Amino acid sequence: MNYIIKELRRHLGRTIASISGYIIATIFIMLILSVTGTDKESSTGILKGTGTHFIVYIPSNISCCVSCDNESNKGSLFAEGVNTIMLTSDVIDSIKKINGVKDAAPYLLYKHYEPEFNADISLGGIELNSIATKNNVCAATNIISGKFLSDNKDDVVAEESFALAHNISVGDTLKIYGSNILISGIVNSGIKPGKADLYSSIDNVRTILKDNLKCISPGFDMNIVLVEVTDARKQNEVLLQLKERMKYLSVSSYNCFEPASEVMIIKEKTSALISILIFLFLVIFSARTQLTSLIERYREIGILKSLGWSNHKLGRQILAISLIQAVIGVTLGILSGFVIIFLMNTFNIRVFNLLEFQFQISSIPLLFGLSFAGGLLAGVFPIIKLYRTRAGEMINNFM
Amino acid sequence: MNDYQIECISLSKQYISKNQKIIALNDVNIRFSQNEIVLLKGRSGSGKSTLLNIMCGLIKPTAGKVIIDNICITELKDDSLSRLLSERIGIIFQSFNLLPVYTVYENIEMGLIPQGLKPGEVKDNIMSLLEQFDLINKAHLLPAELSAGQQQKVAIIRTLAKEPSIIFADEPTGSVDDETAGEILEHLLNMKREKNLTLFIATHGNIPDKIADKVFIIENGRVNGT
Repeated sequence: MNYIIKELRRHLGRTIASISGYIIATIFIMLILSVTGTDKESSTGILKGTGTHFIVYIPSNISCCVSCDNESNKGSLFAEGVNTIMLTSDVIDSIKKINGVKDAAPYLLYKHYEPEFNADISLGGIELNSIATKNNVCAATNIISGKFLSDNKDDVVAEESFALAHNISVGDTLKIYGSNILISGIVNSGIKPGKADLYSSIDNVRTILKDNLKCISPGFDMNIVLVEVTDARKQNEVLLQLKERMKYLSVSSYNCFEPASEVMIIKEKTSALISILIFLFLVIFSARTQLTSLIERYREIGILKSLGWSNHKLGRQILAISLIQAVIGVTLGILSGFVIIFLMNTFNIRVFNLLEFQFQISSIPLLFGLSFAGGLLAGVFPIIKLYRTRAGEMINNFM
Repeated sequence: MNDYQIECISLSKQYISKNQKIIALNDVNIRFSQNEIVLLKGRSGSGKSTLLNIMCGLIKPTAGKVIIDNICITELKDDSLSRLLSERIGIIFQSFNLLPVYTVYENIEMGLIPQGLKPGEVKDNIMSLLEQFDLINKAHLLPAELSAGQQQKVAIIRTLAKEPSIIFADEPTGSVDDETAGEILEHLLNMKREKNLTLFIATHGNIPDKIADKVFIIENGRVNGT
């Protein structure tokens, strides 16, 4: 060990050059990891939330609830254009138990012919503050004017397309469903499987169905279950489990999860490939540094061999020097990289004005692991050369 | 078993240089006994350094073998050869071959590390040798700060400190002035007498034959001896 420290100190220029190489390589790798990490984090975050929702219902050939007051004024609970039967909250509990399900929420979707509009007008009863509702029906983020549904049970919001078609504005009162309904907001929920013309809280819709329309139905818990899964890649697995456990349910999904899942897999493979390439770069760089160092020390090593130093002893020292340089270099590289990333973030420097440099704490063990592996591999090539060369050749080639 | 300490049997060395086959040694057969002084004389390029390097195991011959103390060193594995080099064989080079970044003291110490000696154990021995060679006040200097003669003395001390039974010296006086050459030769002969060493010296001719028990002449890779 004494000799190793002396060797590092006496060849200070070479030691500094080797360590500097590791520092530069580490900073380079850290910056790449920090950018790819941010890219992966943001894109995966977006993709994970893409196509993670679907609705579940039981189709039926009959309308399950009929207004008692007016036989011609028939309405029905429906989903995806077909009549449905009612579901109980047990279904939600069962769905929530499926591995990969993040959230499940009840939804009551009713349509009713209104002569004044000369059209079927659909009313969706939603559970507020549910991620499954947000992604399958609508949420406060979809509001474009007025205010979204609140704890006030009587609030109703209209879908923008419906409002435009019937010239409805915020504050208008509609005489439908046997009562006066005040429009508190307009939403544009986009393409969602549970889209309706009007939305209100599920409790309000239950009241309208039972009290205003005098519909006859057992329960009115819900006719649709809105489901959100944890990750687009899990959706297929959840759908399979659901079909297996509750064969009678019909599932409707836009299948966005398939391309999202594919893109995520591609991105993960790309990230893995980049990591492998970075690792190879580090190993080749380290091996080259150590080999250059050996060539510079070639004659000295030959002299030591002629003094009786064994290949084993010299090999161990080359390896130890290689590892020490790698560890010092990577440690200093991490510190320098941290400072650079900190400064870049302080001065708001972004790649293509988009990607942020984010210090990846998880990369520290990886970098040390890589440096250790790199140091070992880098030491192996010079050691092979050492074993294959006689002392005389090492001395005389440089005499 | 035989009476010879060192035997070279049918040694040949060929190598390729600039696409040409060079015969450095051609069927060399020499032998000598323990405690002898042997001179190998020849002009530059005659093959004497090649022969010396093969005899002490630093390079491999193309054919033939070298036997030292009944051990065929040309067939030895690296570890055994290292042990032999650290315990029994000392080599003195014409170009000194000191380690440039280590001090005089450390250079000498480097030769003793393979024997497993701890720094404290060897200090007295090293200082005593430095005193004998009048280099005691140079112990802390780097080789580059010494004259050629002083560097060669350090190389000799490094070899002697190991207490080998055989010393191979390749032109030990070749890089120094006549006065220093005489001094170095005297040191070597004194040490040889004190320690009962076998001394094999390769020279181009500036060492008198009279000091030797045997003289071999090498010319174009072939050896003739007396």
